[in-house]
Amino acid sequence: MTPFTARAHAVSSPVPAQRTEPPDDREAALAQLFQAHYPALLRLAVLLGADDAEDIVAEAYYQLYRRWRKLRGTEAALAYLRSVVCNLTRMRLRHLQVVRKHAGPREYGVRSAESSAETEALLQDDQRALVSALKDLPARQREALVLRHWLGLREAEIAEAMGISCGAVKSHTSRGMAALTRAMEERR
Amino acid sequence: MTGSTEERLRDTLDLLATQIEAVPPAYAPARATWRRRERRRRLILAVLIAVVFTVVDIVGLWALNQAQDGTHVIFDDRNRTGQYVPAPPSGIGPP
Repeated sequence: MTPFTARAHAVSSPVPAQRTEPPDDREAALAQLFQAHYPALLRLAVLLGADDAEDIVAEAYYQLYRRWRKLRGTEAALAYLRSVVCNLTRMRLRHLQVVRKHAGPREYGVRSAESSAETEALLQDDQRALVSALKDLPARQREALVLRHWLGLREAEIAEAMGISCGAVKSHTSRGMAALTRAMEERR
Repeated sequence: MTGSTEERLRDTLDLLATQIEAVPPAYAPARATWRRRERRRRLILAVLIAVVFTVVDIVGLWALNQAQDGTHVIFDDRNRTGQYVPAPPSGIGPP
């Protein structure tokens, strides 16, 4: 388990029904969340396939700032941020799919190819194939796999982040993993 | 096979994540941006509500202004032919 995984578990463990901090402490709590979790959320957005991860994470923090009073507690903030990042990334990917369909691959294809080439430069061949297979998965399956195997979240936490049921999480995870396994076997 | 794929996926994601440079920007400018956006959002919402309220008011006043003075919809003492019908002395009459 990576240090971040341990931290994610510690912060997003069961959410209390009562607010644990008075609302006036919003600024301090937000500052702490911003410093502690910005890098991890940025990495999450990139691993989910976002091309503008900084914008997505900034938007997620703004949404948290707006809805701070509706939050169940400070402990729920990280789960909320993850959920917003997942949703915004999925929306962004859908938007890009539509744009590509209408505009052709000339503009967005080059940009994404450059960024992925930089990121994947240090990967081995099989890892590169795995990343490619992961990118080809439907967005929901990719989200479930990244949240499960990179963040090490439990099914209930993944379900909360993705806004779906635990059964759907199991389904997406197993289908995604089966597709990855198939892709790796075909490569051999 | 799935187990090895899981392990490989975990390693690959960890490796990819470590290659991503993620330095958090300064908090103060970010918070200033949030505040500015929130102020703008509230201003737009207030203007929108005011515009809708004003338009509905104007439409209602216009509709009332178009109504005829002589037509009474709820309390009308005339019968269907337009003749005035006095109330029966006993207070009981045909519906």
